[in-house]
Amino acid sequence: MRLGIVRGHVVLHTAAPELLGTRLVIVEPVTAENLAAGNGKGGGKALVMADHLDPGTGQMVAFVEGREAANPYWPEKAPVDAYCSLLVDSTDFRPPAEDGVRS
Amino acid sequence: MYLARIDGTLVATCKHATLEGCRFLVARRLEADGRPSGEPVVVIDRLGARRGTTVLVSTDGDALRKTQGNTVPARLSVVGIVDPASAESGR
Repeated sequence: MRLGIVRGHVVLHTAAPELLGTRLVIVEPVTAENLAAGNGKGGGKALVMADHLDPGTGQMVAFVEGREAANPYWPEKAPVDAYCSLLVDSTDFRPPAEDGVRS
Repeated sequence: MYLARIDGTLVATCKHATLEGCRFLVARRLEADGRPSGEPVVVIDRLGARRGTTVLVSTDGDALRKTQGNTVPARLSVVGIVDPASAESGR
């Protein structure tokens, strides 16, 4: 799973039937520098994830990518390759100083 | 599988039901020279890895499906803690 910050939602007016009932959330992945700084910034390439947890804009989440992103739809199959697994309450990310990522 | 260093913990009350009771850690993948690379990742730990330790991370989601159920939306799990005395790891 990677960490990301919710930036918005996507509304489709036509969708693959497997996606009905799934919210689509725009998420911006968080880099090590921004996570260590805790500045609410992302820095990664934005993507869309499927979601059933309903995070608000600005909320940090963890999302799984790849085949496992469709696991929640099992035994059905869904054309989903990113899925919101959890909403982050807090992280305690303190890389060693020699990494040079600390603000 | 790859090596990663544990750099933090993560608390999440609201999560997919299959992740209930899991311990989440924030890790960074390590390159061959021991330097971290890429964005931080959240890994599921059942072995009790601590901050600063180098761990072996598996990207096999089937391992988690076996313990957490078929619908688990997660892939990365800690499958080993590297012996700090091991010379090969260099760390």
